Amino acid sequence: MRFIPIQAQEDTVAAADTLTESYSPKWDGTAGLDQASPLIQTAASYDLIFIVLGVSLIIWFVLLFFIIRVDKKVSKLEGEIEKANAERNS
Amino acid sequence: MTVVISVGFLIPIPDIPILKESARNLFLHVPMWFTMSVCFAAGLYYSIRYLNNPIMKFDRKAETATQIGLIFGICGLLTGSIWARFTWGTWWTFAEPRMNLSALGMMIYVAYFVLRTAFNNPEKRAKIAAVFNVFAATTIPFLLYIIPRQLPSLHPGADGNPAFSEITAPELRYIFYPAVIGFIGLAVWLNDILNRYKTVKHLTDQQRT
Repeated sequence: MRFIPIQAQEDTVAAADTLTESYSPKWDGTAGLDQASPLIQTAASYDLIFIVLGVSLIIWFVLLFFIIRVDKKVSKLEGEIEKANAERNS
Repeated sequence: MTVVISVGFLIPIPDIPILKESARNLFLHVPMWFTMSVCFAAGLYYSIRYLNNPIMKFDRKAETATQIGLIFGICGLLTGSIWARFTWGTWWTFAEPRMNLSALGMMIYVAYFVLRTAFNNPEKRAKIAAVFNVFAATTIPFLLYIIPRQLPSLHPGADGNPAFSEITAPELRYIFYPAVIGFIGLAVWLNDILNRYKTVKHLTDQQRT
């Protein structure tokens, strides 16, 4: 009875390693980093945590850009409606 | 939905990274593509509804969904590229089919908007754009899912290595799923805002003429 959960546990641990197994020979991102520019080196420090930061910033700025664009469009439309109302009232 | 998004962003801190810390990109990069697919599926749905029943409302909804989908797709490409620099050693590689085919998919959708600008008659524009959108949406599953799985690839989740079923530490899932739901919710919300804008614009344009 106890064997099955233990087995499952071992399986997940072993399976978690397949990513490294299949990809580490092909992925050479960290190789040659010492010759890369200081910017790249800094970005790769602290176990690549700045990459995660960069990725979230990209998403944030793209969405922000989109929201600002919609905001501008809405403001323009508001102006048009106000102008139309003013013409009608005069 | 906003709560779900913030949870998706807040929880990542106490997790265990597999390879390096950049494994956390699973919560950011992968939901982009999920969200994009949902948006494009919505675009396809509204395009078909437009062809079935030519009301301008459906054309507006299809255009909005495709716009939001493209935004998320571009996010996915950019985030994938920055991740690739630090895991594969290059910003862009032609050895990676998924990367190039997803870029191709984005180009097809950019063409959708280029096509829309080519017509002045709204009915004609809506009809041709809807037909093109049906074509574009059918290419996406092949470009993003089927072909990359058949080819040798650098991307996780190809070459017989499932992206998610076995390799991922189970605790990542508890953050990944809320993140997917959160980003989809965000996309739905953006969709709604843009749609309401377009409806109001349509009404004021009608009033003026």
